[in-house]
Amino acid sequence: MTALNLKLVRDLWRMRGQAFAIALVLAAATATFVLSTGVHRSLTETRDAYYARNHFADVFAGMTRAPRAIVERISRIPGVQRAEGSIQQYATLDFPDRNVPARALINSVNEFGKDHLNRLILREGRMPRPGEANEIVIDEAFAEANAMGPGATIDALIYGSKQRLKVVGVGLAPNYIYALAPGELVPDNRRFGIFWMGEKALEAATNRTEAINYLSLTLEKGAPREDVIRKVDTILEPYGGSGAFGREDHISHAFLDNELMQLDAMTQVIPPVFLLVATFLVYIVLGRMIRTERTQIGLIKAFGYSGWAIAAHYLKFALVIAVISMLLGSLGGIWMGRAMTELYAEYYRFPFLYFRLSPSVFLAAGALSVGAAALGAVGGMRSAVKLTPAVAMAPPPPPVYRAGLVERLGQAAGFSAIGHMIVRHIARWPGRSAITVFGVALSMALLFATMQFLDSTRTMLDSFFFRAQRQDLTVTFIEPRNKDALHELAQLSGVLRVEATRAVPVKMSHGNRAERTAIESAQSDTLLSTRIDSDGSEIDLPPAGLMLSRQLADKLGVRAGDRVHVEMLGGRRTAAFLPVASIVDEFIGDRAYAAASTLEAIARDASPAGAALLRIDPAARDRILGELKEMPIVLGVTERDAAMQKFEDVVQDNISTMLFFYISFASAIAVGVVYNSARILFSERVHELATLRVLGYHRSEVGIVLLGELGLLVVLSVPFGCIIGYWMAQLMTAMFSSDLFRLPFAPSRESYGWSIVVVLLAAMGTALVVARRVLRLDMVRVLKARE
Amino acid sequence: MTGSASPNAGASQEPLAFRGRDLRKIYKTGETDVHALRGVDLAIPEGRILVLLGPSGSGKSTLLNIIGALDRPTSGTLHYRDTELTGLEEAELTRFRRANIGFIFQFYNLIPSLTAEENVRLVTDIAESPMEPSAALDLVGLADRRSHYPAQLSGGEQQRVAVARAIAKQPGVLLCDEPTGALDSATGTRVLETLAQANRELGTTVILITHNAGIAAMADQVLHFLDGRIARIATNDTPVHPSEISW
Repeated sequence: MTALNLKLVRDLWRMRGQAFAIALVLAAATATFVLSTGVHRSLTETRDAYYARNHFADVFAGMTRAPRAIVERISRIPGVQRAEGSIQQYATLDFPDRNVPARALINSVNEFGKDHLNRLILREGRMPRPGEANEIVIDEAFAEANAMGPGATIDALIYGSKQRLKVVGVGLAPNYIYALAPGELVPDNRRFGIFWMGEKALEAATNRTEAINYLSLTLEKGAPREDVIRKVDTILEPYGGSGAFGREDHISHAFLDNELMQLDAMTQVIPPVFLLVATFLVYIVLGRMIRTERTQIGLIKAFGYSGWAIAAHYLKFALVIAVISMLLGSLGGIWMGRAMTELYAEYYRFPFLYFRLSPSVFLAAGALSVGAAALGAVGGMRSAVKLTPAVAMAPPPPPVYRAGLVERLGQAAGFSAIGHMIVRHIARWPGRSAITVFGVALSMALLFATMQFLDSTRTMLDSFFFRAQRQDLTVTFIEPRNKDALHELAQLSGVLRVEATRAVPVKMSHGNRAERTAIESAQSDTLLSTRIDSDGSEIDLPPAGLMLSRQLADKLGVRAGDRVHVEMLGGRRTAAFLPVASIVDEFIGDRAYAAASTLEAIARDASPAGAALLRIDPAARDRILGELKEMPIVLGVTERDAAMQKFEDVVQDNISTMLFFYISFASAIAVGVVYNSARILFSERVHELATLRVLGYHRSEVGIVLLGELGLLVVLSVPFGCIIGYWMAQLMTAMFSSDLFRLPFAPSRESYGWSIVVVLLAAMGTALVVARRVLRLDMVRVLKARE
Repeated sequence: MTGSASPNAGASQEPLAFRGRDLRKIYKTGETDVHALRGVDLAIPEGRILVLLGPSGSGKSTLLNIIGALDRPTSGTLHYRDTELTGLEEAELTRFRRANIGFIFQFYNLIPSLTAEENVRLVTDIAESPMEPSAALDLVGLADRRSHYPAQLSGGEQQRVAVARAIAKQPGVLLCDEPTGALDSATGTRVLETLAQANRELGTTVILITHNAGIAAMADQVLHFLDGRIARIATNDTPVHPSEISW
């Protein structure tokens, strides 16, 4: 090993604390990068492989009922590679030991294994046999949540008649990676399942001999999808087609896509924060190192080493740190990636989902670390190159202080001599002080932006579940019902109020933009439903025209006062131009609303109810649920509180994992910044601190000089942290918002408070560790040596 | 100048500032022990100027540091007036330094971020009955430089600020480690004059380490150090004025 490299090794060992603190921040960058990129890749690759292997369709279409022969017609549309028809039927499940309503979506499956699209994978058991009327395969999540497997039986109400189903297998399919009951936001695997039943058996059970109500198709490469969709819609029109749609409107695909988009956003925001801080840290640490080693640098140069050899020496110092942090960060990233993937695997059902990492992820992470460290080293390298031996070997001139603005403020505030020392030192090194303030502020901002997610989700939850929904139960009917059905529900004892609601699927267009959505309506005297604006105020349905959610209005490019073309998907397929009366800032989904009378006018029917909202006496809940279960018109019952609880659980699960990571990360930044600032401060002031001790200052008083400056900088960083955090949280909510959720920006005081407290504690703890050096200060030795 | 080997010579009737018995100091450096002091007895009378002379490593700085409560002896006892310093806790030693000792070093050790006056205030802020910082600066002839930062002062001026800082709290003892080591003769003389003035006007005991044998001429007593011991004590009945010292 050359002498210079030996020096490098020993320098690294001597400065191991500082090097480690920088490595910690860089490791956080690597870890978050490896985590988000790795999980993103694992999910994308797994999904793509799963889609390809099991032939997930490109276009989907639902209809009331069409002859099976239509599939042949559809498959002849140019661009269509393959088309398959199936039956989808909701069923109510009756678990004798529970009142809690459960439902299933039963899909038909070819008993001879001739299905090609959205192919079912058997995890356990076998497929339903031809001629067996009641055999089913259940989805794995439902099987796990209800502890069921082949051999179990389930009583179900299918299409109005009771049937005992026999579970013969457990499976998975690519069109149900994320299986969501209608109207819900998170999967509730105990209450909702996906079933597969033999084609003939389901035809018989739903009275659809040789008929289908669902189509899936794949397209040839480069096929014009919109054309195909239009042609499919034309063919399906007479059969009650509700409009064909692509993958992006497929619920399972859309949720998974949303998740991937968020991971991508995370990759873009979080690692750069760490990289920036690490670059600054390398910059100040190497800067100080070169100042203290200037005599050595002069000597080495005098021996004949070139400026570049010395610059390379200091660059290596930064690079070694980068490499160490890459290893640490990769390990951390893999560990966190595994945890996160496990979390995903609970909600997204894949036949396999492993956190896999390609070398390219590590290479990219490594390149980022090395790049950030090298960038930070540039300043120091330049000054090392510029030092001439003669100048370098002479002792450095004493630092020049001047009375500036801060000084005059200090005078005005009547500072003690110690106070002057603190303030002037900060003003003497404005760049480094600013880096300390900025670094601590960033750590606070990062934590705040993460915690704001909790606030944001809670606000969304509160708005969606508490404010907008006032019913206890939502009862969905097998098919739209008239007032008699509502009356029947109102007769149940313990039911306090019944209101009809209706949602009609439509295609809405404006100019050349079109969106599939649903228009929802409530009865005019509704007490149980309302629409909540983002500022929390309730908005009434317009007496005429439509109310659009902000998301939908933005997608269509319309404002209040514009007119949109509305085409009913299903029913009489009527169409009309309707004015947009108002826009509501909602957080979830992209829906439209209209008064019942408006909807009646376009649909040209007497506003049948698709569902009913019930307010009930809580004491009668169990009995009412039991009675609803027995009613043939009822397809499903959603309990608001249970749905909310489920959502809350998911949020808790995710957020607590996320918070744990981010509290660690934010602390890593705070520790990294404060530790390095403190060490540099200590090394610069060791003479002064020793002098103060000699002059008769106690250790605690001397400690104040060190802690006072750090404390002042950290306190200064609080407002900056709040401001940057505010921006960062806004940016992140915008980046994390999707077609499915528009996250509200709703920071709470607690989030500000906690992020300040966590960062202050981390900073204080770190500063105290360095301040302990004051205890070991060797006054005699320090004063004997010339600085 | 008369010579004597007895440490108590010429001091029996006067009140003593420091009284030391069998002071030893052993530094452990790696595997070898360095005996910096090998049993020093001393009696330093109040209000005198004392010069410690001797080659490097002879123990003078070690003794000065122990007297100044910057360091502790490995064994032996040391009293300042009626207080036994060797029995004090760390915090008590700090209080002792704060109340009684003024230090002056070869490299000034001023705080670069404080002006001349503020450097003095650093001491007057915590002293019991200090003089005004401006008066202390006046005493060293730097009244007009009080708002200057160390970087704006010459070496001699910086050392005089250090002297002003040391005398501002009106300490019982001034400890000076090579105070003129980094100065030219004219500036050095100026600094020594200030020390002599403090001794004369404030009655401060001045203990001074130097390599410059000429400076010994201004002392009341000279302790010659060799190998961690006081080899010889010389009493000077007619100390000269600093301006008469030949460098």
